[in-house]
Amino acid sequence: MWKKCLIIVILFYLFAQLQNSFFAHYNFFGAVPNLVFALFFTSVFFEKKYFCVILLSIIAGLFLDIFSYMQLGPSIVLLTGIGVVLKKVQQLLQNRQDNYPFTYFLPLFVLFFAIYLVLLSLSFDLRIITSIIYSAVFAVLMFYIFKKFRVYDKQV
Amino acid sequence: MTYTKTMTGIKNFSIHKKKRTWLKFLIGVVVLFFALWVLNFFVSPIKNVFYILSSPIQKVFWSAGGSSSSFLGSFFRASSLVKENENLRQENQRLLAQVAALQSIQQGNQAQSDVSATCQNSGFKLVMAGVMGLDDNDILSVNKGTADGISEGMPVINQQGVLFGKVFKVYKNYSKIMLVSNKNSVVNVKVQQADISLPEIDGVVKGNGGLTAYLDLVSIASSINPQDILVTSAIEKSFPKDLLVGKINEVTKDDQKPFQQAKISLFSEVTSTNNLFIITNYKR
Repeated sequence: MWKKCLIIVILFYLFAQLQNSFFAHYNFFGAVPNLVFALFFTSVFFEKKYFCVILLSIIAGLFLDIFSYMQLGPSIVLLTGIGVVLKKVQQLLQNRQDNYPFTYFLPLFVLFFAIYLVLLSLSFDLRIITSIIYSAVFAVLMFYIFKKFRVYDKQV
Repeated sequence: MTYTKTMTGIKNFSIHKKKRTWLKFLIGVVVLFFALWVLNFFVSPIKNVFYILSSPIQKVFWSAGGSSSSFLGSFFRASSLVKENENLRQENQRLLAQVAALQSIQQGNQAQSDVSATCQNSGFKLVMAGVMGLDDNDILSVNKGTADGISEGMPVINQQGVLFGKVFKVYKNYSKIMLVSNKNSVVNVKVQQADISLPEIDGVVKGNGGLTAYLDLVSIASSINPQDILVTSAIEKSFPKDLLVGKINEVTKDDQKPFQQAKISLFSEVTSTNNLFIITNYKR
């Protein structure tokens, strides 16, 4: 459990660094991929325990807030809300063949990321659309990595 | 009878369970908001510690991103390089003509120019700051803060005198710079026309997000053209005058509106910059 937490914290930290520095050079219309959100969403999507969902939300939100110009809080609150709602939605969309189908993952990612960005910036423009597409590419990659290695099949 | 009692018991248990879940949820929300409220009293030191720890890694990532993007970019831009070269040659010739004209004016008004230069441009105390990161709200992070004499509102330029923005938030060892392209940024500018004998035109450059900006509030009667240069004006006194801002690309003129707008390209190329200068002694 703690080993998993430590790995997740290090990954969130590294991804926060990457999106703010390395990927700033690869921006499209000023949008950079939100790797932290992509990792948060993929982890929560495959997570079963509510406690872990809340923990992941707080850690991811904290890193997003720390490296933004805002006070601490907006991302933590939004991600916690998104995490809890996502688990509820997944319960409603239960699929017998596959617990984590890609057909649910991508639309839910786009929907929740759009909600997050709109609530955070209170606007909707080309940059947000680009950011959603750009981040979705990385989220899909993470989805298949999680699925391939079955990270959450054996809960530690 | 027993069946009814059992059913009522189950219902009561279910209601109690639901109530307990809601109570837990409410307590959780209250605790979260309280923790965040307390945490925000220490936001400056917390962010500062994170930036001190991250600074070396972020610097490496920033440089790696810069060099790799320029390397990859050269492949993608290969086809447009010939056209760009031609445009630069033309622009160079136009600038040479302007330099010649300016030299003659300078000789005529040497005394006035000296006074103006002394008042405006010399004597600026500059602090060099390394760029650490950029977020998608057009906010730049640099590695100098209050410990280096930086405070909010200070203008930020590069070595060529191109305006990048102003200091927006300061922490002990790092600062956040609001770029000219940030959606909340408004900079008063003068339009320097290609024909320098014509009077300068006032306008404002407003941030558009996504590292872009546009020119606005230019009187409809004024004549502005593509390639006209934009420099800061001293009207608002947020920035020293005559700092380079950008050049006009395309003018949008509608006779129904009192002002005309223009698409511009900013001179501040954020992603290819590693160091910036903060003017620490410019007084508004």
